[in-house]
Amino acid sequence: MSTSLSTSGRTNVPAPDPAPDPMQALAPALRQHARQQWRGLWAMGAVLLLLSVALLLLSNSYWLKTFTSALTLSVAVAGTALLYGQLGLVSLCQYALVAVGGWVALRLSHGFGLPFELCVLAGGLCASAAGMVAGLPALRLKGLYLALVTLMMAGGYQVLVSAVGFPDGGAGWLGKAQGTGRLMMARPAWAESDAAYLAYVVAWLALILVLIEWHRRSRAGRSWALIRRGEAAATSAGVHVLLYQSWAFGLAGFCAGVAGALLAGGVGQLDGRAFAASESVLMFALTVVGGAYHWLGTLLAGLLLRAVPALLTEWGVNGFLAQVFFGAALLHALITAPRGIAGQWVDGLTRLFAHLFARPPGPSRERRS
Amino acid sequence: MHPTFILRPVAASLVLMAAFAGQAHAQATGKPNCGLNNGKKATGEPIAIGAVVGKTGPDDFSAPALAAAAYFKCVNENGGIHGRPIDYVVADDQWNPETATQVAGKLVRDRKVLALVGNSSFVECGANAKLYEQENVMVIAGAGVPRECFFAKNYAPVNTGPRVSGTLVAAHMAKTHKAKKMVCIIPNIPSLGNWACEGAKGWGAANGVAVETIAIDPGSADATSVMLQAAAGKPDVIILNLPKGIMVPMLAAAEQQGLHKKIKFASTTPAYNADVPKTIGKTWDRAFDVHLEFMPVESNGPDNSNWKAVMAAYADKAAPRDSFAQGGYLAARIATEALLKLDAKTLDRAKVTAALRSVKGFKSDILCKPFYVGDGARHNANSSGPIAQVNAGSFKQLTQGCMTADEPELADVRADEKRLGL
Amino acid sequence: MDMLLPFLVSGLGVGAVYALSGVGLVVLFRASGVLNFAFGAIGALAAHCAWSVLEADGGQALAWAVAIGVSMAVSLAYGRLLAPALAERDTSIRSIGTLGLALILVGFAEWTWGEGPRRLVLPTDADGLEFGDVRLTWTRVLGLATAVAMMAAVGLLLARTRVGLRMRALADDRGLSALLGVRVLSVDGVAWALSGAFAGVCGMLLANIVRLQPTLLTFLVIPAFAAAIVGRLKSLPVTVLAGVVIGVLEACAILLPGFAPFRTAVPFLVALLAILFFRNTTRKA
Repeated sequence: MSTSLSTSGRTNVPAPDPAPDPMQALAPALRQHARQQWRGLWAMGAVLLLLSVALLLLSNSYWLKTFTSALTLSVAVAGTALLYGQLGLVSLCQYALVAVGGWVALRLSHGFGLPFELCVLAGGLCASAAGMVAGLPALRLKGLYLALVTLMMAGGYQVLVSAVGFPDGGAGWLGKAQGTGRLMMARPAWAESDAAYLAYVVAWLALILVLIEWHRRSRAGRSWALIRRGEAAATSAGVHVLLYQSWAFGLAGFCAGVAGALLAGGVGQLDGRAFAASESVLMFALTVVGGAYHWLGTLLAGLLLRAVPALLTEWGVNGFLAQVFFGAALLHALITAPRGIAGQWVDGLTRLFAHLFARPPGPSRERRS
Repeated sequence: MHPTFILRPVAASLVLMAAFAGQAHAQATGKPNCGLNNGKKATGEPIAIGAVVGKTGPDDFSAPALAAAAYFKCVNENGGIHGRPIDYVVADDQWNPETATQVAGKLVRDRKVLALVGNSSFVECGANAKLYEQENVMVIAGAGVPRECFFAKNYAPVNTGPRVSGTLVAAHMAKTHKAKKMVCIIPNIPSLGNWACEGAKGWGAANGVAVETIAIDPGSADATSVMLQAAAGKPDVIILNLPKGIMVPMLAAAEQQGLHKKIKFASTTPAYNADVPKTIGKTWDRAFDVHLEFMPVESNGPDNSNWKAVMAAYADKAAPRDSFAQGGYLAARIATEALLKLDAKTLDRAKVTAALRSVKGFKSDILCKPFYVGDGARHNANSSGPIAQVNAGSFKQLTQGCMTADEPELADVRADEKRLGL
Repeated sequence: MDMLLPFLVSGLGVGAVYALSGVGLVVLFRASGVLNFAFGAIGALAAHCAWSVLEADGGQALAWAVAIGVSMAVSLAYGRLLAPALAERDTSIRSIGTLGLALILVGFAEWTWGEGPRRLVLPTDADGLEFGDVRLTWTRVLGLATAVAMMAAVGLLLARTRVGLRMRALADDRGLSALLGVRVLSVDGVAWALSGAFAGVCGMLLANIVRLQPTLLTFLVIPAFAAAIVGRLKSLPVTVLAGVVIGVLEACAILLPGFAPFRTAVPFLVALLAILFFRNTTRKA
């Protein structure tokens, strides 16, 4: 029976294409995906490089210090974004872990004169351990309960650190200086000046972001995605839930610890009263506002935490009015941008690029007559 | 006749009367006396002076900077510094040490101020002391609180600080009430909690009075338990060395528990504020002694009257006229007189720092003793002050003249004074 | 025991604070599914308005009316205008939205009323129950009684009335409730208005018992969460009991040598201990 719809009755109907081999279609698709991933990483590196150059050129002392703080906190936000974006877990104690990292780094730097990088790594590892402890309740509680439990930890830590303070050159366990002036944390030899230190912080931020991206694309990332769907699904797929969940908390804690050490190096010292539980809550809130699903959100959250208040201070806005604007902006951003500001920008950019670089429409199938 | 016909002229004359009354009042407080005092507006190249204050946060410490701003405005209208006006830049550190380093960097490195005058912040001394030393810039602070403000080479507060204030009020209460056992309550913040009550303790140890310290969490919601804890040891006197926001609930709790009937209460300087007597209520009338870092706000000495005149003529109506403002005024006067001794055309930071360090014998009736800065490793020049008592909704000076603190930690300050020949 | 009694009694005062805030938080959570970070802030704003009325010699009745009116208005405004926009998001995000409200209210209160020592004096401060050397003022007794009364009233409301049933349905599954014909916006409004009224009452009592300071009253919710956690965000009687116990433990912790300056951590320690005994709530497919 003829399958042609022509009226002439000719039989030179082109043979239907053989069914495309799914495996053959898979390989180029995977390659294109990998290319996109690489492009994403290159874009991240380029943005960070441009950002650091721009900041260094345009900044005076005030803004250098502000941006250093902002990008340092971006390192910590990366951890929160990891937990919320990848696993859907709310951690309201990240700033307390920043304090842990800062404390360890300060004590080692003042007490033993270790090189800066070692102090940063030590701070990161200790905060990582603390983060894993904070993550233990996550094995039994989820959602709001987990958020509240981490908040309780942050609250308890606040009481401790505001009473105990941070090491500033003294001896003993607590390292508090009595009688002498406060010691500032020694910066690495090639990052003594504020400008050089900002570049140094950007380098650490890039490292951390690459570390997290690498995790996302590896087995850990896939396990996290499964855990997010549901523990039953993950376990039945063979994922070791305890291991990967603790790994996520440990990684988030590592980010916080590194941030704490870098903060201590940037400011020179840390003050126990600056690490209230409300700061951790604000950090989570701004992580969500910046966007927890993209590295750009991490950058934006850090800038929101430090650069925007600094701008308002520069403009002489009353500190309390600035708080009102901040709260209003937070609400607005939460309502209008479910994937965060970064989500909006990335979506917009993607659509723009798709529009600009759209392939011309392919040849239409002509009806053979 | 339409009512507004009458109202308008009546209103107008009322307004005129008010204006005249205001004029008369201004004249009653006298003409302010500042700087060169020649009535000529300064129009030269501005001199940059900065200040870091803790404005947004648990308390508002910006009063010294507001008073200093008023004084500098007066100076600029009276010839400036040999013709050059002072450009006074005040930055708010929002009670955050990170912000304090940022704004100090802005003032010292970006704005290149020649000195900082009228600083008053809980957090900036510790955060910025090293920066000031490295950049060779002097700070004449309006009010210093934690330990770091009194242990820095380039930081000279004009006030006594909580440790000296505590020592003085302890000495006063011991003398007046023959007390043998005291409790000193202090917030548990590093460099305050382990420092500010120790002066009273040291003085007590040398004078047969037992002083116990209770360190409390400033964020605690429970004032009653603290008062009960203090009262448990059956002391004769309880000294509150707390910011006024925390002190008021403590007194309220003490009143509710009836402790005021058995124990005498006193406080360091933070309680000396016009709103406090009304807020704490009639129970504490003539039963609450406070140490003052400067002479009372309503004294009639020439410099105090000048301060009131400067505030009336050049400060905002809302700017507080309290002892913080006295401190800011003094700091501004000290800086102005030091600057006037220099050649205005060649002013630079090194010269200003040297001039400020050599300030000696600065007299004012607001201060008990002349102020000095000196080149010592630390500065605590004001270590005296009178005692006042809550009386009928305000304060009344209790002691004639001033007491000077005598405690072991001030030994190096006394040695410096001897060396400088004071 | 002699040494313990004063702190047991003063601990009841702090316990009243935690119980009141805890019940207020759990009430709104059960009625609308949102954990309200702004509970303390709304109460603080209400207390400051009442203080202004008292300073202007308006009298106690007017002050209380203004306080409760302001808190209900703010809470209702948020609940009807802003909260519905977040209604489809997950619970943590909806709670973070209330944090934005808290920042707005605290900033506004600090900016309007400024700094300055203030006391909210209530007529019940003057007298109280005597226990030897210690006195439990009537204000604190009132605080405890209010917590218990709120617990009973809201418990009855949620369990026995139609409105309560609709509130619980809404908190459980908003979309399904709407399909079933529950009038979402008006029930929401009732829940938020009720929570606002509680916040106003709590704010007045807390401002008296603790301190009239906006930032402190706002972040007092964080220890209050401890009581709410022990109550599993569900049981009002357990929340009240937990609040009182936490307060008493915090006060009695003064007697532990060396621990006294850290006793404000007691609520957090109790909450963390309590979760060790929670059954696993995570198993979801």
